[in-house]
Amino acid sequence: MIKIEQIDREQALRYMSYKGGAISDTALSELEECERKLLETIRPVCVYRVFKINGFFPLVLENGLVLEGKDLSEHLEGCEYAALFAATVGADVDMLIRRLQITDMAKSVMTDALASAAAEQAADLAEEEIRKSLPGKFFTWRYSPGYGDLPLTVQPKLLNVLNAGKTAGIVLQKENMMSPMKSVTAVIGISEKPVEKKRMGCAECRSFEGCSLRRKGLHCGFQKTT
Amino acid sequence: MDFRKLLDKNEFVFLDGGMGTTFLDLGVETGEIPELLNLTSPEVLEKIHGMFLEAGSMILYSNTFGANRYKLEESGYTVDEVIGAGIRNLKRAIEKSGKEAYAALDVGPLGRLMEPGGDLSFEEAYDVFAEIIRAGKDADLIVIETMTDLTEMRAALLAAKENSDKPVMCTMSFELNGRTFTGCSCSAMALSLTALGADAIGVNCSLGPAELIPIVEEISHWTHIPLIAKANAGLPDPVTGRYNVNAEDFAETVVKFADLGVKILGGCCGTSPAYIAELKKVLAGKKFVPRKEEVTGGSEIPTAICSASRTVVIDQPRIIGERINPTGKKRFKEALVNNDINYILGQAIEQVNAGADILDVNVGLPDIDEKAMMVRTVKALQGVTDLPLQVDSTIPEVLEAALRVYNGKPIVNSVNGEEESLQKILPIVKKYGACVLGLTLDKNGIPATVEERFAIAQRILDRATAIGIPKRDVFIDCLTMTASTEQAAAMVTINSVHRVKHELGLKTALGVSNISFGLPNRELITSSFLQICLANGLDLPIINPNIAVIAGAVRAYKVLANIDKDSREYIAAYNTASPQAAAPPPSNALEATPEGLMYAVQSGLKQDGARITEKLLETTDAMKIIDEVLIPALDKAGADFEKGAIFLPQLILSAGVAQAAFEVIKSKMPADSEKVSKGKVVLATVKGDIHDIGKNIVKVLLENYGYEVIDLGRDVEYEAVAEAAAPEDVKLVGLSALMTTTLKSMEETIKLVKERRPDIKVVVGGAVLTPEFAEKIGADFYSRDAKQTVDIARIVYSE
Repeated sequence: MIKIEQIDREQALRYMSYKGGAISDTALSELEECERKLLETIRPVCVYRVFKINGFFPLVLENGLVLEGKDLSEHLEGCEYAALFAATVGADVDMLIRRLQITDMAKSVMTDALASAAAEQAADLAEEEIRKSLPGKFFTWRYSPGYGDLPLTVQPKLLNVLNAGKTAGIVLQKENMMSPMKSVTAVIGISEKPVEKKRMGCAECRSFEGCSLRRKGLHCGFQKTT
Repeated sequence: MDFRKLLDKNEFVFLDGGMGTTFLDLGVETGEIPELLNLTSPEVLEKIHGMFLEAGSMILYSNTFGANRYKLEESGYTVDEVIGAGIRNLKRAIEKSGKEAYAALDVGPLGRLMEPGGDLSFEEAYDVFAEIIRAGKDADLIVIETMTDLTEMRAALLAAKENSDKPVMCTMSFELNGRTFTGCSCSAMALSLTALGADAIGVNCSLGPAELIPIVEEISHWTHIPLIAKANAGLPDPVTGRYNVNAEDFAETVVKFADLGVKILGGCCGTSPAYIAELKKVLAGKKFVPRKEEVTGGSEIPTAICSASRTVVIDQPRIIGERINPTGKKRFKEALVNNDINYILGQAIEQVNAGADILDVNVGLPDIDEKAMMVRTVKALQGVTDLPLQVDSTIPEVLEAALRVYNGKPIVNSVNGEEESLQKILPIVKKYGACVLGLTLDKNGIPATVEERFAIAQRILDRATAIGIPKRDVFIDCLTMTASTEQAAAMVTINSVHRVKHELGLKTALGVSNISFGLPNRELITSSFLQICLANGLDLPIINPNIAVIAGAVRAYKVLANIDKDSREYIAAYNTASPQAAAPPPSNALEATPEGLMYAVQSGLKQDGARITEKLLETTDAMKIIDEVLIPALDKAGADFEKGAIFLPQLILSAGVAQAAFEVIKSKMPADSEKVSKGKVVLATVKGDIHDIGKNIVKVLLENYGYEVIDLGRDVEYEAVAEAAAPEDVKLVGLSALMTTTLKSMEETIKLVKERRPDIKVVVGGAVLTPEFAEKIGADFYSRDAKQTVDIARIVYSE
């Protein structure tokens, strides 16, 4: 069971292209209202499985799962195990956002951004659960489909291994987008010895061209090395 | 022996255990599609079924859980082959065992998300399930299991009922909070599946037996049909994948299901044949005692209707919101003609916020395809509200279409005492297990006396129960006449309500607004009449909840009738911060000057904006307000947004104030309203793409700037865009796409639009687009955000 007590407002503001200007009283009070409503609505759930790594380039796990691309293998190099996880804030959030899109577009945009931040928090909590269950081990940053050259097409395989439909209520819709919309899947490397925390900057990322986060001046989570 | 007879016997029925677990125990390599083993290793399946038969399973599930056309798409095998082989393996195992057992066609979820959240339509899901049902024609019964979405469960059950005459067992997977992942509640599941004619219902998977006990107990209060429990062996270990409850403990806990009156028992993930054998052993000395509900045929069950996630028990007055109805409403009719679904959804949400418990849905208009519109509206409503619906039409085909896609147990509005109506409507109500509203009128019209109306109510009840509709599902509407023209009729209605409620013991409904037609101070008459009706037994007032006095009359009655305990609902409605109170109150400090309006727009003060505009209109020309105050104020907000001085929600808030000001201007000058439109823009999120928040933001901004937006929605066919762009006065088409994969449809859409209208301009936007790509696919403009789209619209319309 994971629990989110408070939404990471700063992160949400970044998703709303907030660049540090003054926030009007009206906007602030609406933002707070959206936060309250969202906290009532979210039902964070996460699920994970740990597998031995059988090979790199491409990454092959003991259950036969192959995760293509070279970036993920580079990221996990030196690790003996990989944890796969999925985290979500639940399907009711989707309805909340849909409803707000009809009645109140400003709140809809706020809630959408807050919910994205909440999904990242759910992923943080999932990571924490994994760390807690494996004391004394060392971990890499989480790596998600769509980062680098790990394609979104691995999404069905990941969710299938996690049995995520049954265990977390996450299913796929067209184009490998997840539903509930505010969900995260990721891979974490696990090692007996300290791992070099490789961080990827935008410049090396294969999604550089089309990345909508970058265009807004945001970042997917892999902070630049400097 | 027939499976249904087995259910009638006062004995426990044992199911099998986890198929995946047994594969694992036997070291079978299953690959990505374990169902293919039916063809590649039939002996393995025969062996596993044999083990469960040996353990005492009486109903066995075929290895066909995921054998649907999506999953088998690239396997090289057809649904027919995989399911056919699955059933044959099972039947062979049963035959070899020499035991009396039943082969169940196992049907699992399709692994895709249904509308409204996802892209799988009810109709397509139905077709996929129908194919599975037909492929399993040799099974003895059908089991639909592990469902979390009631929509999908209903599609599967309906496909099973309409494509075979086999018994159907239905189980869904619940979480600790008593809901499935998609939010379906225990009561809604039980009410809806019983309504649709399942033979037994219950739970499987997701949790261990201990956690499922309260869930099964809750389900048991809402249905009279036999119950099923197929729990997991506890929880899986993330590292080993093994489950943590052993066979002995499992069986000990499952006994508690038996104490709840659960008849059909088995195991799900993690339960091997040993678990079933243990279960059978532990229950050997125990006698099955059917539940009270089963024995009485359900007379203990409360009268209730539901959506997938909300159940409304009719044990006190419940408000049915009447506003989704075009009768006498110009704007609503326009919305229907223009397919403006968002307007209708707005009407729904307004009533939800005003306190409606149920929404009546009527989209009947002579010039439109009512059936298609009803289906579209019901589906869309389910995406934005969890209030149960009352589907309202005079056409049986429209009602049936609505009942197919309605995700729960609704009310049908209506049947009446006329023979034709009784014959056409009641069988539909029975088939889908809905509640029905009976109007006390017949071929002679609305009777003038209480006795005659009562007689019609009696007739409707008799006819309904004769075809198997439970008495509690029949509601009566004694009909309201207009007091200004038929003054004596008011008491006839009131007395009819009293008799139907107290002598027939039925729930009553009544549309009350008619009563005051033609009189001054209508609200006083309507609310007074409503109070008298409530005191005489009215359960379901059909009203406009947005009128405070009318909704308030119901709340007040509930206090005085000692229904609203400690006046909690009443106090909640009137004494705490309402949504309006949460927003800053209108500040009178803001003066009714152009500067004041400018300030209101920039600060997002909607009420002030509207108030000042109203005041300004007394002295200032409308176009002057628009051109000299509103547009410059919006421009300032837009420029601040571009500089990063304000962020997106603030820009939208400012736009919202401008919108409120525009509304005031429009309402004050109906004759000049045409002038307010700065031009028409067609917007669509392209085919294949269902992510439309960006397009919706663009729409709001364009409207706020005075443009008329024709919003085609998301996942829009090329042809639909081209058609909407055909009229000469449309000069700009805006297309959005979020996914790289749908850029192709954007290109195709542009091609078709330009083919038909070479002069039209196209603007494109969306996360993955770049100006270079926009040019490449033939767009005239690339827009990076909503603000820029407005600038582009200005350029296009000033040319």
